Amino acid sequence: MNAKNGDAKLEALAKHLGASAADRLDVDAVARRVLAELRQAPVRRRTWIEVHWLRIAAAMVILVGGGLLVQQMIPDTDVPGQHGNHLVADDLGDLTTDQLRDVLDRFDEMVGGTTPLLDSSSDLRGLDEEQLQNVLRSIGGII
Amino acid sequence: MAHPELRTETVDDTGLIAAWQAGDEQAAAELVARHARALARYLAGAGAPDAEVDDLVQETFIRAFRGVGRFRGQCQFRTWLLTIGGNVLKDYGRRAGRRKVLPLDESVQDVTGDPHEHAVATEAEARLSAGLHVLPRLQREVFLLRAQQGLDYEEIAGALGTTPGAARVHYHHAVKRLKEIVG
Repeated sequence: MNAKNGDAKLEALAKHLGASAADRLDVDAVARRVLAELRQAPVRRRTWIEVHWLRIAAAMVILVGGGLLVQQMIPDTDVPGQHGNHLVADDLGDLTTDQLRDVLDRFDEMVGGTTPLLDSSSDLRGLDEEQLQNVLRSIGGII
Repeated sequence: MAHPELRTETVDDTGLIAAWQAGDEQAAAELVARHARALARYLAGAGAPDAEVDDLVQETFIRAFRGVGRFRGQCQFRTWLLTIGGNVLKDYGRRAGRRKVLPLDESVQDVTGDPHEHAVATEAEARLSAGLHVLPRLQREVFLLRAQQGLDYEEIAGALGTTPGAARVHYHHAVKRLKEIVG
């Protein structure tokens, strides 16, 4: 068969394909079933608000997830002593002047042998409560 | 449901889609009436078993109506519907776990005319059916949209998300292969 005849023959055959299935189709019945199905599970049309809320929620998920990821990736940047300072500052407020002196004395005993954190000439007895607290805070910063 | 009264042809598909989206069921029935037979021919041509054509047509319309918000007028509604039909058929094939060759339907046969000519035509049609099944899906769909449905390449390209040039190439590959098979 030559090319043109071949093409025409193919197209004629193709046009005939499925003709019987189409003829047998009960179009009204199909329409009824389609409508019945659509009534059972109607198309849920998303409103403008819904669409935007979905976008906002998606953005939040990305932000929170990204934040957590970054937090996990960046190593702990806590400077040694900062955490201790915070605790010292919290605890010092509850101590009396005598208790503060006592803490300093004990601390000096503990570390004084190797690392003289407090000047030996310093007279803790002459310091008031606030000054003692400042000394202790500064020690917290050192260690 | 009462027998659907068909609207006049003055309301185009876009108008019917809009009417259906506004809640007019009759508009959906009209769209089914307009396109169901063409869809059935397309599905049968693409390999849908005869016994399944009704259900596949129904499923295609349901899927189309549910997703009609995605129809942007990139092609005619019918063309878009046919491409959905192709997806429905593919899903059916997956479910069935096999691809059936369209059986030759005795009712297709024209009982008038020369029995010999008729037998030759029937045989050629069967070979075409078998040939379509061995084509890659895109070639098969382009061939059917062009040769069976009479669409131009621009329209086919819009529906299948390709270029008219690519659609033309697919068509020619399909024709070349089918000629070898049909003889």
